[in-house]
Amino acid sequence: MEEAKRATRPNPARGLRIRLTCLLLPFMLSVVAPAAIAPAVLAQEEESGMSPDEIWSPEYVNQVYPWGGDEKAQFSEYHDYFSMKNRMQFLADSNPDILSFHEGLLGGVNARGNQMTLDDYKGWHYRHPSPWVKITANVQGGDYNEFNDDSGNYPDRPDVMLVGAHHSREWMSYEVPMFFLETVVHYYGEAGIDNDGDGLVDEDGWDGVDNDGDCTSLNASFQDSNGDGTPCGPGDLGVDEDFSEQFITDMIDTREIYLIPMLNVDGVRYDREEFCGEQAYDGCDSGSPGWRKNLRDNTITGVTPIPDTDEEVNEGCDGVDLNRNYQFEWGLLIGVSPVPGVCTFGDPDLVQTYPGPLDTVDNDGDGRINEDHVDGVDDDGDGLIDEDWIGGNSEPETKFIQDLTEMNDDNGDGASDFKATLSWHSYSELVLWPWGHCNDCQTVDDEYLVYHGFVMGEMTDYEPMQSSDLYPTQGDFCDWHYGVHQSYCYTIEIGNTFHEQPDDIAHIAVRNLGIPFYMVEIADDPRFRAVHGIENMSARHWIQTPSEVNVPEKGDIHIDLCLDPYFPFSTQEDRSHLSWRFVEPNRQQDDYGPTEWRLVPWEKAPFTASGADCQLKDGTNGTVLTSTVPIPDTSVGKLQYRAQLGTTNGAFPFTYPTIEDGGNYYELTMPYRAGFGSAILSVLMFAFIAGVVWGGLAFLLRTMLDEDAPVLSLPPGGHE
Amino acid sequence: MNSSSDEFSGRLGLIFATIGAAIGTGNIWRFPRMVGANGGGSFLVPWLIFLFLWSIPLVVAEFALGKRSRTGTVGTFRIFNGPKFAWMGLWTAWISTAIGFYYAVVTGWCINYFQSAVRGGLGSDVDTTEVWNTFLQDPSQVIMFQALAVLITMAAIWKGAKAIEKVNVILMVSLFILLFSALFLAFVMDMNDGSLDGFVYMFSIQPEYLLEPETWINGLSQSAWSCSAGMGMAITYSVYMRKDEDTTLNAATMCLANNSISIIAGLTVMMAVFSVVDDPLSAVSGGSSAITFLVLPEVFAQAPGGPVVQLAMVAMFFLALSFAALTSMISTVELCVRNFVDHGVNREKAVGLTSVAIFLFGIPSAATWILVDESTGVAFPQFLEVQDHIWGYGLMFSGLFIAYAIWKYGWSRYKAWQAENDVEGFSMRDYLDHGVSSFRDDFINTGDNDWWIGKWWDYIMYLGFPIMFVVLMGTFFLDMLATVEDPWNPTNPKGITIILIFWGITAFLFISMNRLMLVNKVVPTGKSGFPMCLLSGEYVLEPRPLFRNVPEGADVPIDTLPGGQDPFIVKVGDPLPELENQPFVVSGGSVMDAEIV
Repeated sequence: MEEAKRATRPNPARGLRIRLTCLLLPFMLSVVAPAAIAPAVLAQEEESGMSPDEIWSPEYVNQVYPWGGDEKAQFSEYHDYFSMKNRMQFLADSNPDILSFHEGLLGGVNARGNQMTLDDYKGWHYRHPSPWVKITANVQGGDYNEFNDDSGNYPDRPDVMLVGAHHSREWMSYEVPMFFLETVVHYYGEAGIDNDGDGLVDEDGWDGVDNDGDCTSLNASFQDSNGDGTPCGPGDLGVDEDFSEQFITDMIDTREIYLIPMLNVDGVRYDREEFCGEQAYDGCDSGSPGWRKNLRDNTITGVTPIPDTDEEVNEGCDGVDLNRNYQFEWGLLIGVSPVPGVCTFGDPDLVQTYPGPLDTVDNDGDGRINEDHVDGVDDDGDGLIDEDWIGGNSEPETKFIQDLTEMNDDNGDGASDFKATLSWHSYSELVLWPWGHCNDCQTVDDEYLVYHGFVMGEMTDYEPMQSSDLYPTQGDFCDWHYGVHQSYCYTIEIGNTFHEQPDDIAHIAVRNLGIPFYMVEIADDPRFRAVHGIENMSARHWIQTPSEVNVPEKGDIHIDLCLDPYFPFSTQEDRSHLSWRFVEPNRQQDDYGPTEWRLVPWEKAPFTASGADCQLKDGTNGTVLTSTVPIPDTSVGKLQYRAQLGTTNGAFPFTYPTIEDGGNYYELTMPYRAGFGSAILSVLMFAFIAGVVWGGLAFLLRTMLDEDAPVLSLPPGGHE
Repeated sequence: MNSSSDEFSGRLGLIFATIGAAIGTGNIWRFPRMVGANGGGSFLVPWLIFLFLWSIPLVVAEFALGKRSRTGTVGTFRIFNGPKFAWMGLWTAWISTAIGFYYAVVTGWCINYFQSAVRGGLGSDVDTTEVWNTFLQDPSQVIMFQALAVLITMAAIWKGAKAIEKVNVILMVSLFILLFSALFLAFVMDMNDGSLDGFVYMFSIQPEYLLEPETWINGLSQSAWSCSAGMGMAITYSVYMRKDEDTTLNAATMCLANNSISIIAGLTVMMAVFSVVDDPLSAVSGGSSAITFLVLPEVFAQAPGGPVVQLAMVAMFFLALSFAALTSMISTVELCVRNFVDHGVNREKAVGLTSVAIFLFGIPSAATWILVDESTGVAFPQFLEVQDHIWGYGLMFSGLFIAYAIWKYGWSRYKAWQAENDVEGFSMRDYLDHGVSSFRDDFINTGDNDWWIGKWWDYIMYLGFPIMFVVLMGTFFLDMLATVEDPWNPTNPKGITIILIFWGITAFLFISMNRLMLVNKVVPTGKSGFPMCLLSGEYVLEPRPLFRNVPEGADVPIDTLPGGQDPFIVKVGDPLPELENQPFVVSGGSVMDAEIV
C-alpha cells in the first residue's frame, strides 16, 4: 500500500522507473498471472499468510532486475549470439576495472608446441570465435598473457572456468552464465543492498533455504512462484533473494573468473536460425529435439556448406558432440559410436554423440601413432604420459578450451590454474561430477566431489549424482578437466527441457545463480573446502545414547544414527558400521574386587537406511541409519557401541559418540530378558537336588549314628 | 588336662568342626553369584556332579592321611611323601594361612555389618554404597573388626580340640537356624510378587548353558573351593579323630552339609533379590563381594513385616555370614597351630604367635590400597584382592600334593611287592593289582568304616584328579590371558607374572628350607647365631622331632610309609632317641598337648 501511494505521487525522479514498468508490463503480467489466477481456489481455503506485495518491493515481486536493459538483459527473452556478444561488450566497456571482453584466443605456440592463430578457434561454419569475459578486480592491471591476450592475470588469484552452451540447443546454459555476469557486474563494489526491499539486508543467501522465512510467511498460494511443485524451494520468490554484495565483491577481488557463456556459437546460431527457429521453445523440443553438436562437416564428398546442398541435414552426420570430444579416455567405446571416428554406425541415436574424428597425426614424432592415449598412464612405456592421443580436442571450440586451460599458468608451476571448473547444460535438474567414462568407478576425490555436489544440489534442489550414474560416456569436459588437470569439475543440467519458455528464463536463472558463485568461492582449494565442510557436516550427526535406545522385550537391539542426507556416506561395511561388543561379567571373577568384565573383540554391524527422518544436532533434517545388534534374551551385561561413518572413497572415518559426546563408546546396560523358567520343572529339579543333597545328608547321618547299620556298599567278602 | 593327646569328644564334634571349616563366605556370597552367572539350574548340575568327582574323594583322602599320620600338614607330608617332601606340608599350611591373613579382614567386615544391622544402620533408607565406602575407607574401623575376628578365633582354639568342637557346634547350629529363618522370609518375599521367580530361575536348567564348558569349569571350581577340599583342613581335624571314626562317611557328610547350606543360602539370596531388584540377574552375577554388602542389605531391608522384621532379617543374615566366616577362620588358624604343636611348640604360644601374625599380616589387606571403582563408585580393597588373586589358586597344589601322597604310596607298595616276589620290570597288570588300590585298602577301608569305598575312588584319584587339576589350572591362566590386559607385566596386580613370582619364591624358599628347618634343625657351633651361621658354615644339623597326636587306642603303624621309619617321629608321650652329641632338650609347657615325658 505504501508503495502504491508513493507511485501515484508526481515525482520526476520516478519517470524512468514508470517508463521501465510500462515497458515490462507484459512480462510482469505474465509472471504474476499464474500466481494471480491459478491459486485463487486455494486462497479461499488458506486465508492466512501475506501476499508478496506486502513483503517486498514491486521490483522484486515483478522480477525487474536493477541492471535495466531490454527484455533480453532482463531475461524475459532469449539472447541470440549477437545480442549476447553486444551485451558482454557493453558490460566490459562500462566496467573496464573488472571485466575484459575477448573472442577466442590470440594464438601463438600452444602448450603442445603447435602454432595457433585466432582462426583456429573460429567455428567451422559461421567462423565466430567463442566470446568470453575475464572477470577480476583491476582486470587491466595484472600480468599479460600473450596467448590469451589477457592482462588480468594474478599468480595469487585462483582461477575458475565457467562454460555454457557446449550443446547448442540447451539455451538456458548460456542464459544462466549471462545472468551470473549481470549480477556480478551490477553488484560489484556494493555492500549492504536490500535486494528484495523488505527492509533487511543480506538476510537470505544462496543455500536453497528460505532463511528469513519470508516465503513461508506468504499465503500458500504464493509460495510456489516457479510452479515446480515445491513451495518455497530454490527459484521461488523469497528464497535466496537477498545475497551478500560484499561476498560478490570479495570474490571478484580475489578470483580470476573465465566466463564463456556460449562455447558452441556455430551450433547456437544454426539451431536458432535454421534448425528450430527463434521460437524453438514452441514445439522444437517435441519431435526433432534441436541441434546439439557443432557444425563440423562430416560429409564424405568434401567441404560443403551447412545446410548441405548435397544432402539432407544430418544425413551425413554433420557436427561433433563437443562434450564427447575432450581427449581424456577418448576412444573408449562407451556412450558413443562403437567405431572410433565413425559417425554413423550402429544405433542412430549415437549420431547425436559423435565424438569427432580419429587422430591421424604422430603427435610425438616417434614414428608410431596413437600409441599413448590420454588416461594419465604411460601406455607405451616410453617415459612420456598421454603424448600420442587417439583423438579428441579436434574442434575449434574444444581446442579453445584446451589452450585456454593449458596456456593459463600464472604462477608458472606447469599445472593448469583451474582448480574448479563448471559446465552448464540442460536439462534434467542434475548436478554431476566425474567420472563419466566408467561404470561403478569412483575418483580418488569422490567424497569431496560428492560433498560439493550435494551442497550445490541442495542450493538448487537439483539431484546430485556421479556423471556415470546418469549414463556413462567418454570425452566430456569434466572428465578431461578432472582426469588431466585435477580440476574439481561439475556439470549442471538446467531445467526440464532444451528450449524453456521465455517466461521461465528468469526464475530458472535465479535458481541457478548460487552455483557459479559457489564454484568461484571454492576455487581456491576445493579439496580443503570439502574436507572442512564434511567435518562440519559430520559434527551434526548423532548416535542414540543408551537411554534413547529402545530395548525390546525380545530379540535384536536396533541402534540408530541420524545422518545428514548430504554426507558422502559409504555403504561399505568396512567403512561405515556400528562397532559393538557385549561385555558380560567374567564368570570366574575374583571374590573381593569390583566386577570384572570379560573383554571381547568388537564386532561390526552394517548400517541400513530406515527411511525415517530425524533431526540433526543443528535442528535440520537428517535421515535415520539403523543397525541391528543380535543379543540373546538370556544375556546380562553391557552393550558397548560406537559408530564409524566412512565416506565414499574412504578418506574419512568419523566416529560417534564424538569426544564432545563424552567418550569413545556408549554403554547400554542390558537386563535379562528371557523367561526365568518353568515352575513345574523347577520344582522337579529342586526335588532332585534337595533329594540328593539333603536326603543324602540325612541318610549319612543316620548311618553314622546308628551303630547297627550295615557297612555301605560293602562288596561280598570285601571286609575282613 | 593331663592327657597326653587331644581328641574330639564324639563323632558329631568332628562333623560340626569340619562342616564349620567347609562352610564359609563362599557358600553365601560366591555360590549365589555362580548360580546367577551360569544359568541358574544349569549350574547345579556340574556343581553336584563335581561334589562326587572332586570334593568327596579328596576329603576322603585327607581324612585318611591325617588319621594315619596324626600330625598336621607338614608332618603328614613328611611321613607320607618322605622327608624330602615335608615342604609340601609347609606349602599347604602357608596357603591356608596366607588366605587367613585377609580372611580375617573379611570376617571383620561381616561382624561389622552384623553390628551395624543390629544398631539399625542398614535400614531401607540408607545408601548402601555410602555405608560400604565409609566403612572400607576408614582403616581404624576395618582393623578394629579384623582384630575382633582374630580375637574370637584365638579364644575358640586356645584350649584345643574340645573347645573348637564346642564353639563350632554352637556357631553351626545357630547358622542353620539363622539361615532357615532368612530363607523363610526370603520365600515370603518372593511369593509376595506372585511368581517365586528366584526359586524358578535357580532350579531351571537352561540347556545352552549346559553345553558351555565354562559352566562345568565353574561348577568344578565352586565345588573345589566351597568344600575346602585339598586345603589341608581335613588333615588337621582328623588328627583329633577317634579310632573308630570313619573317614569316608565323615567326608561325605561334611561335603553334603556344605552343599546343603549352599542351597539354603543361595535360595535365600536369589529369592530375596528377585523379589526386589528390577534386573536381578545383573545384581546377582555382576559383582563379587558387592552383592553381599551393597545389594543384600537393601534387599533384606524391604522384607515384609515392618521394621522389626527387616532389621531382624538383615541382622540374621550377617550374623550367619559372620558365623560361617568365623568357623572357617578357626580351621585356618588351627591348621597353622597344629603344625607348630607337632614340632613341640607349646599350644598357647603357637596360638598366640599365629593369631598375632594373622592380625599383623592382615593389616595391609585391611587398610592399604583401598580404591574406588570408577564405573560404579564402589570402594574395594585392592591389596586384599591381589592377595586372593595370588594365593587362591595355590590351594590347587595342596590338592595335588595330597594326590601325590596317594600315587607315591601306591608305587612304593608295588615296588615292595616286586621285591617280595622277585619280579622285575614294570607290568601294568601287577601295578593295578598290587599298587593302585593299596592306599584305599590300607588307609580307607580299614575295617572300622561304615562305608566301603570301591575302585571308583582309585579311578578318580589316578585319572580324574589329574585331568580336573589341569583343566582348572589351565582355564585359570587362559582366562587371565583372555581377560586381563597385559597379563605378563610383573607389576600388574591382576596379572599372571605376579602369581608365578610369588609362587616361585615361596616354593623355592620352602624347598630350600626343607632340609634345614623342617626335618632337621640348625644348631650353631660357632660364635654367630642362627641364621648367620648358615653363611659361615659353623653349624650342625640335628634331626627335628615330630610328635604324633595319637589318642588312646587309635595307634596304627606308619612304618611302611616313606617317612615312617624316622626314629624322631614319635607319639606324644614317647621318648625321643638319644642324640649322639648332646641330649635333646625342649622347653616344656603345662598345657602342651604334644607333651614330652
